Amino acid sequence: MPIYSVSRRRAVALLALTSILLITLDQQGNGIVGGARNVFGFVFHPVEEATRVVTRPVQNAWRGVTNYGDLEAENERLRDQLDQQEGAFIAALAIVRDAQELLALNGIDNLADVSSVTAQVIGGTPSNFSQTVEINQGSDRGLKVGMVVVNAAGLVGKVTQVFTNRSVVMLSSDVQYAIPVQIVNQGEDPATTTTSTSTTTTTSTTTSTSTTTTTSSTVPTATPAGGVESTTPVSSTTTTSVDLSGIDFGALSPTTVAVSTIAPGASTSAPTTTIDINNLPSVETGIFRGRGPDKAPVVEFIDQNARFGEVRVGALVITSGGSSSLAPRGIVVGRVIKIVERTGTAGAVLEVRLTARLSTLNFVRVLLYQPVVSGG
Amino acid sequence: MIDLVNRPGVRLLMVGLPALALQTTLLAELTPFGVVMQLILCMSIGAGVASGPEGGAFAGFVLGLMFDLVLTSPLGLSALVYGLAGYVGGFAFSASLANPRWLNAVTCAGLSAAAMFVQPVVANWIGVEGWISSRLVKVMIVVALFNGVASYAVVPAMRWCLAVRRLQRLAPPSEVFL
Repeated sequence: MPIYSVSRRRAVALLALTSILLITLDQQGNGIVGGARNVFGFVFHPVEEATRVVTRPVQNAWRGVTNYGDLEAENERLRDQLDQQEGAFIAALAIVRDAQELLALNGIDNLADVSSVTAQVIGGTPSNFSQTVEINQGSDRGLKVGMVVVNAAGLVGKVTQVFTNRSVVMLSSDVQYAIPVQIVNQGEDPATTTTSTSTTTTTSTTTSTSTTTTTSSTVPTATPAGGVESTTPVSSTTTTSVDLSGIDFGALSPTTVAVSTIAPGASTSAPTTTIDINNLPSVETGIFRGRGPDKAPVVEFIDQNARFGEVRVGALVITSGGSSSLAPRGIVVGRVIKIVERTGTAGAVLEVRLTARLSTLNFVRVLLYQPVVSGG
Repeated sequence: MIDLVNRPGVRLLMVGLPALALQTTLLAELTPFGVVMQLILCMSIGAGVASGPEGGAFAGFVLGLMFDLVLTSPLGLSALVYGLAGYVGGFAFSASLANPRWLNAVTCAGLSAAAMFVQPVVANWIGVEGWISSRLVKVMIVVALFNGVASYAVVPAMRWCLAVRRLQRLAPPSEVFL
């Protein structure tokens, strides 16, 4: 048979046309494409798992050779950081608890209400262009496409493919990832300095015994931009003062905390709450978008709000939530590290440093959250 | 049964599935300079080098499609680019004389770099933006080097896959006898 023939050339052209047809179908969101991916995933999974087991020693050896020095240095650094954070953590626990109580009192959803599934990252991206990881939980644990994935530091990505017992997660650095966010102007350079903060707890009981505990701890500091003050008149003259400014659930910011807890049995009058809106941390909305592994993600299309003023470097970026957003409000995404001004009406572009380290993911949490308006 | 196994398509799947598993497990972790090595692309070009343009296009399309099915990028993108790479790689195929191995390596390396450039360009053309960046140069170099070395094993493997017999490979083109 001749090497080149008209029929063979036609076959090659047919292959190219088939590829273009498949691309078109996929771009239109055709269900057949998703079905084909699921079927192939079902067939391919046993082969992949067997290969993973066989090649694990090689992977471990590679990691040992390439990462040992980095891991050792990182371990030392993390030990130091852990010591610094321990004191701040104790102070923050009280603030977080009070914030959650306030949100619950006002009927506002918060992250603590969202169920989640913990998963382990079992595979990286096999491509140089897509930023994905594979996790070891799937539809049998309630995972669905679109659910948001976080870790202890903040936003990681979203679930894009779900199989029975595994899923593919698109990382927030992927160029196809986008989500609405809010920028919270905290106002100051997040550089850490050391100050002293005191926490005072007073407990009153019906037998009129009183215990006062004073604890001193060291926390990173920043200047609060505003606050919420709640005054609760109580018969025994107890005042609750909670300054919620600058609460950062991922990386703790700074505050002076004075918490008084009233034991059961203490008589209280109706509480009066005053919130000074002008002193609340101002927020701005925009769209967060990944730009690949070597470029910092950006926030674009920022609304122009007169009260917000200028975005400052160090401002916190959190998910904005909303009825159609895939993520609930309040997940920490990162901090603004650079502001790129653009001419005209395009507005500024904010470069963001993610709080989650996407290159060294191990355990993640999938929030079993679906927006009110779900695309199915 | 033997006849079935001897079919190029079946052999391609028999080799392609474990290779794809290697790509998604081991090679996804072994990332020198942060670049994922592309074994599937190397196999596509190797198929062309081993059997000619049509064989390369066919193998590239099948392997690329399998790769697409495990990726989140548009289905058909890798099939198109890898099929094209296999087709072009086939022009280095010589039916009458066996290619020196170094020529196969150079072909694989060069076409791998080209394919790594073409893929984000095509992706950009169909609306997937952001793949073209300065990192692309590093990706092209590392993938080219890896695939050049891997071709020493991949080309003979693809020759077996596509059932290219030695006599057929070394014989003059059939047009000579017409």
